Amino acid sequence: MKLKKVISLGMAALMTATLFAGCGDSGKKPEDTPNDNPPADTQQPADTPDESNEADNTDDAAGAGGEEQVLRVAAFEGGYGSDMWHEIAAAFEASHPGVKVELTVDKKIEDVISPSMKAGDYPDVVHLATGREAALTETLTKEKALLPLTDVLEMNVPGESVKVKDKIVPGFLDTLATNPYGDGVTYYAPMFYSPCGLFYNAGLFKEKGWTVPTTWEEMWALGETAKAEGIALFTYPTTGYFDAFTYATLSSAGGSDFFNSCMTYEDGIWESENATKVFNLIEKLGTYTESTTVANANNDNFTKNQQLILDNKAIFCPNGTWLPGEMAEAPRADGFEWGFMAIPAVNEGGAGCSFCWFEQMWIPAAAENQDMAKEFVAYMYSDEAAQIFAKSAAIQPIAGVSNYLEGDNKMFYSIYDNGATAVMGGFAATAPVEGVNMLDTLCGTVNSIVSGDKTVAEWQAAVEEASDKLRDAME
Amino acid sequence: MKKSRARSVFIGVCVAPAVILFIIFMLIPTFNVFKMSLYKWGGYSNNKEFVGFNNFKILIEDANFFRSFQNTVLLIVCVTIVTMALSLIFAAILSREKIRGQNFFRIVFYIPNILSVVVISAIFSAIYDPNNGLLNSILGIFRGADSDPILWLGDQKLVIYSLVIAMIWQAIGYYMVMYMASMASVPESLYESANLEGAGRIQQFFSITLPLIWTNVRTTLTFFVISSINLSFLFVKALTGGGPDGATEVFLSYMYKQAYTNSSYGYGMAIGVVVFLFSFGLSAVVNYATKREPLEF
Repeated sequence: MKLKKVISLGMAALMTATLFAGCGDSGKKPEDTPNDNPPADTQQPADTPDESNEADNTDDAAGAGGEEQVLRVAAFEGGYGSDMWHEIAAAFEASHPGVKVELTVDKKIEDVISPSMKAGDYPDVVHLATGREAALTETLTKEKALLPLTDVLEMNVPGESVKVKDKIVPGFLDTLATNPYGDGVTYYAPMFYSPCGLFYNAGLFKEKGWTVPTTWEEMWALGETAKAEGIALFTYPTTGYFDAFTYATLSSAGGSDFFNSCMTYEDGIWESENATKVFNLIEKLGTYTESTTVANANNDNFTKNQQLILDNKAIFCPNGTWLPGEMAEAPRADGFEWGFMAIPAVNEGGAGCSFCWFEQMWIPAAAENQDMAKEFVAYMYSDEAAQIFAKSAAIQPIAGVSNYLEGDNKMFYSIYDNGATAVMGGFAATAPVEGVNMLDTLCGTVNSIVSGDKTVAEWQAAVEEASDKLRDAME
Repeated sequence: MKKSRARSVFIGVCVAPAVILFIIFMLIPTFNVFKMSLYKWGGYSNNKEFVGFNNFKILIEDANFFRSFQNTVLLIVCVTIVTMALSLIFAAILSREKIRGQNFFRIVFYIPNILSVVVISAIFSAIYDPNNGLLNSILGIFRGADSDPILWLGDQKLVIYSLVIAMIWQAIGYYMVMYMASMASVPESLYESANLEGAGRIQQFFSITLPLIWTNVRTTLTFFVISSINLSFLFVKALTGGGPDGATEVFLSYMYKQAYTNSSYGYGMAIGVVVFLFSFGLSAVVNYATKREPLEF
């Protein structure tokens, strides 16, 4: 009897003890990170470091310590795939002996890295653009948890004798999308860029004998012609795509200074004449929008809206250069051929415009190996790295890189050569304002404008109100 | 004396695992939600700023929050009433009547419960498709094929009811099986004597079945409140993303948007506190309002 009791007591104690077994190890097992099965050779290229090898590394250019340094890189796996990241990691390791790149690539990279970040365990370099739903980049920006990249820009590109800032195409470093606080300090390194504009079926234009409109007047005229044939002028995947559209039209309506005033929440700017032009333009465009667009403008069904272009049910769709890749498998009308144009000028005689969207790379202020992280960011602009990326059609803002492109992609990236103004940037970072989301107010409302649930005046007032609240939160 | 002390030590050690688990995984997180709602915090850095009840002050002036509140209440009310009525009816038919293929129906009704919400959303996306969807195609027979399609997920007045339908379809089977289980324990003799006394089937249902399974119905009411709040988040996430223009935003989707997309973690937790208190309060009210003397049989 007594024995039985002792045994059960022991069992219960064991159960209690094993409860804590899971708490001891804080998941410091880098091998466990979802690695997307990198090719075996990229996994550990120089992973048998004997003593002599390590000793050689002490006076390495990277200025690293004597031991093998581990650089933890987290990268978002976008439409370009994950292979290029594994190649980059291998190439970086090859050119920096003694450094081991520990790569985490995932389509939902924020879900993979943020739990350990909350526990204070940060990756050294992160490649993740702004504008994602989980808004990890924005959150860290708002919390001032990023490292300024000023000295990276002054560094020489590893293996070359050019400074990083001289290699980046002019203009890419003076935007709110690289200097989020609008104070001239760069926090995001501009990575792969993609011009956004209007996609259409060039084959349809040939077949019907229409000319591609270059002004909004011609656009509306085309809208009427097409309507007679049962084709709508416009559709959009989700309202999220109106950020690029609005930025481009704002810039076209009032110039780049006006655009920057909008992005920095200047008082009354959204009720100014130029902004009103843009609001009215989108309202009018709404009347030419394919009738089922709103019903499919959600994350589950947006490809149905994109399909309208392929099926000749709508003519134009705002998007970025990833669209043809996204719809590569989709059925299409006979004679379909991708066409891409900038957004027509808002003012008569003005220049067309195209928002240039780009992804960003940044270093968390809490990163451990900041020097090596900076070296890695600088390395991204080397010819070697640019060519690896370009193989996957990921184009960096480095002069001459778009020459590597072929076919449709060449046409997409030549949009700025044909007279369109490049618009870059985005809303300035502010301290978080509870309950106020500018992009939701500005873009999300488009659905209500198209369906007639809200008037332009209500929309404009709401945007101005959000702008007022955010202005107070800017520093 | 010694024996009783040993006994309490024994009991203490035996319940310790459960108590520790409960504290770590229930009490501490809940406490943290309440604590974080008093801070302005983005979720990552160490800059937590204590702001007292400021988050709640902003909350009561936030029109978007009230919209999500209204939507949630609408969902709870509609889904509960319709699901409960339908699953009671189906349960009564399947357990009282002799129909061919009873087991088949039981399985068919239960299947939606096994499917993940994402799959159900994909199914309903296809059903609600404006051009080729099942619903519009059937209605097209009556409305004429070239009439304007009904935008089940695009019309802001309609879209929340589209969500209600999907949620009901998903929930019926589960509650039906629960009601059937308790109906099975109602003694057959009661129905026999009711038959002899000349009570019809409907009268039997209201006078015998319903009162005798009442405790079960009460329990499911609490389930309805909790699951409507939880599942509506999943459905909204997968089916509409809160759109068009916030028309289907519910409690938890709005909380997620604020806590993550809008980098206001503290504010999100304040919404969490309101949701917590609301669901607790509502369950308590429902429980109190439906209190009856339990019937013995």
